[in-house]
Amino acid sequence: MGTVVTIDLYTTDGEAGARIAGQLTTARELLHQADAIFSTWHHDSPVSRLRRGEITAAQAPAEVSEVLAECAVAREASGGWFDPWAMPGGVDPTGYVKGWAAQRALRAFGAENLSGVIVNAAGDIACAGGLGQGKPFRIGITDPLAPRRLAAIVELTAAIATSGTYERGEHLIDPHTGRPAARVASASVTGPDLGLADALATALAVAGPDGLLRVEALDGYEALLIAHGGERLSTAGFPFAPDQP
Amino acid sequence: MRRTPIVLTATVAGVAGVLAFHTSPTHLGTLPAASAPTDNPTVSNGTTGTGGSQNTTTGKGTKATSHKARPSASASATGTGTGTGTKTVNGPSVNYSFGVLSVAVTVNLSTRKIVKVGIASLEDDGSFRSEMIDQQAIPILEQEALQAQTANIQSVSGASFTSSGFQQSLQGALHTLGLA
Repeated sequence: MGTVVTIDLYTTDGEAGARIAGQLTTARELLHQADAIFSTWHHDSPVSRLRRGEITAAQAPAEVSEVLAECAVAREASGGWFDPWAMPGGVDPTGYVKGWAAQRALRAFGAENLSGVIVNAAGDIACAGGLGQGKPFRIGITDPLAPRRLAAIVELTAAIATSGTYERGEHLIDPHTGRPAARVASASVTGPDLGLADALATALAVAGPDGLLRVEALDGYEALLIAHGGERLSTAGFPFAPDQP
Repeated sequence: MRRTPIVLTATVAGVAGVLAFHTSPTHLGTLPAASAPTDNPTVSNGTTGTGGSQNTTTGKGTKATSHKARPSASASATGTGTGTGTKTVNGPSVNYSFGVLSVAVTVNLSTRKIVKVGIASLEDDGSFRSEMIDQQAIPILEQEALQAQTANIQSVSGASFTSSGFQQSLQGALHTLGLA
């Protein structure tokens, strides 16, 4: 993965630090473990070896089979627009793993002493709880066209992933052609699970508006697209905050 | 109410974690306790406040993350240099995917608001890709940090790579300033 994860913990108890430290350690270990297994940057990681055909998925750590099974579900849900098996260089679940790992790290934290937790894996966010007193977290979405502004603010109760080309160049691959493509400037997906949200955001950024109906059909998932020309398109239930930037 | 900042950083195998610990609700003007608690063996940065007035803001003031949130304190528009003046701190140099960066943060000491966010230093590998990412991402991030204050948000979805290194350094600077 090779990315940076920020974890924010909100509590009303100023003395909770020591009690929460163990949970932080667990979360960190889970993230490092995911990196060790799934990194395609490390030549000897299980997934790198899998991609080269040196081992089978069954010979890899159990997490690999788990993630690949979930990737298959995501491929189905996205109508094939998210497809780790169609990536150049062999199966590459990277587009799913970042969200999956952040979601898993979030589960390291219990509700005790905490009003809310935000795990932000380089812009893909899994959260639980909120600011307390029933106030949800407010999350900004970067505007891909006006880089000095936020495009929207959402009230988030679980997960949001945003895919696009604006910061990484043309890194999205159309699984149908094997070539870089992005029919919209950015796609954000909210929903209960960050792994699937991440996969769907990637799929939507490549597929464009045609993919929106598929997200509409998924229970609990909503999407916002920002076209290259600035037009916005979202599913009916996208959790916009009452006030927008 | 006392707020306890804890920053843990770790870099292993290209993965870094920035962990921030917030106690809420808090008032923006309330500086962290004079002596940071030391009962947590993992505390690596619990800096105390630096100067500034003990601003007893009223109102909700639900402080959240670092630069990403702005308390609802009245704080009339900022403007540098008047009265108590400003203070600038450089965040730690942080490795990101394409190099090393450090963020500079300037705050108005009387309003406790960020008035400027910039890059203190930036080293990348000089490749076209790095430069493209830096040129696109860093202005976004600078502005994001400023805008987040007024948008009252806790986090941002959308950026990748550079943003995390930026945030990490920014968070370090804010801790030094006693703002996060």
